[in-house]
Amino acid sequence: MTTATAPTVRVDAFGQTDIGRVRKINEDHFVIGALRKAVELRQCSITDQQVFNRYAGPEALLLVVADGVGGQPGGAFASETAITTLLEYLGEAAGCYHNLDVQREHEFLEQLESGVRRAHERIVMEEGGKGGPATTLTLAMLVWPRAYLVHVGDSRAFYLRRGRLRQLTRDQNMAEFMVESGVWTEEQARRARTGELLVSAVGAAEMMPSLGLVDLQPDDVLLLCTDGLCKHVPDEQIAEILGRTETAEAGCRDLVAAALAGGGTDNVTVVVARVAAPPDLTG
Amino acid sequence: MMQKKVCMVGVFGTGKTSLIQRFVHSRFSERYLSTVGVKIDRKDVDVDGAALTLILWDLAGRDGFEDITPSYLRGSHGILYVADGTRRETWEQLGELRALAREAAGDVPSVLAMNKGDLTDQWALPRSEEQKLAANWDVVRTSAKTGDGVEEAFLRLGRATIARREASR
Repeated sequence: MTTATAPTVRVDAFGQTDIGRVRKINEDHFVIGALRKAVELRQCSITDQQVFNRYAGPEALLLVVADGVGGQPGGAFASETAITTLLEYLGEAAGCYHNLDVQREHEFLEQLESGVRRAHERIVMEEGGKGGPATTLTLAMLVWPRAYLVHVGDSRAFYLRRGRLRQLTRDQNMAEFMVESGVWTEEQARRARTGELLVSAVGAAEMMPSLGLVDLQPDDVLLLCTDGLCKHVPDEQIAEILGRTETAEAGCRDLVAAALAGGGTDNVTVVVARVAAPPDLTG
Repeated sequence: MMQKKVCMVGVFGTGKTSLIQRFVHSRFSERYLSTVGVKIDRKDVDVDGAALTLILWDLAGRDGFEDITPSYLRGSHGILYVADGTRRETWEQLGELRALAREAAGDVPSVLAMNKGDLTDQWALPRSEEQKLAANWDVVRTSAKTGDGVEEAFLRLGRATIARREASR
């Protein structure tokens, strides 16, 4: 899927999910969607139709991954419900990214967060909350050049710039929480059997969305993934694959292949968005 | 409720994230993880009877790889500069950082948190330099570890943003 998020920048985005080698059901879901404010001209007597350009879309690109937890079939239900509810909410609040400027940026982020909260409420309402199915959710909304992030759980967002991979999210799991609290060392966290337990998830007893953003540049690559990737593929290899592959689709294919080659003990889902390099104007 | 965007600006490793963690979540971690991009937190405060929401933008610190991204600063109502009282280079760069921030955000209210005040045995800021800084900055000595001065720094900045708003009416 190639999308123009601004008149001069193209983003090549692709997603892929795989059940892995061990699990019997895939509880992951992802979505890539373009949000438009558009007037589709059917017929017009006005000569200068450039005036309608500002109504042409797409203007925003939505990327989401969700990793359901709680066992089958509840996990898959939770991740699917989270994504469908989020899209439903953003559809209702579609105007939220129009005329986005620095004064309205927080309103916009609150809208994204509200979408996640609605998803949380729906899962709790339908499945009873505590102890029931839940899901991670990591979303990026790209309104060029800014990528707005809302994150719950232990799926991850990264970006690659000039060969350097940076993690944009922090896992909301027991390992991270205990290390942050000074109770465990990093080594203890790595060994702990309970380290992967989520301390925050959509639909769970605790749901604490973290918000952030990053300004992207031409040639940057954004990656969202579920933990099925990071369990088996170290950051260095992720950087190497994203740096080597030339399309988002090829990047996804190679990342998933690497996760499967590494054991594939979990479902694995990746969404890659590659910002096109600016056109070479020197030639 | 009034909302004010406050950006945290400083060299890497000065404790910007730790100050927010202390102020918003009342916790402190010895672990250092550099911030990537911008992390956003909110805190509702009462400033002299006025309800105020501080929207805290935790910007990645200036380091050898990347400088502070000016576009993150646009629309700020206040800036909390953070220096580390144990590392000279962190306050020596304050002038440059303020110039960068003023270009992006204008001349908005600011407070300087001279952080790591608990590390008295490693404190490297001489009294004379501290006095020079105080002539040009609204300085609060803070410790994200103990909490000393943290609330004072944020509330002082919150108060200044309200005063600026009143003055511009």
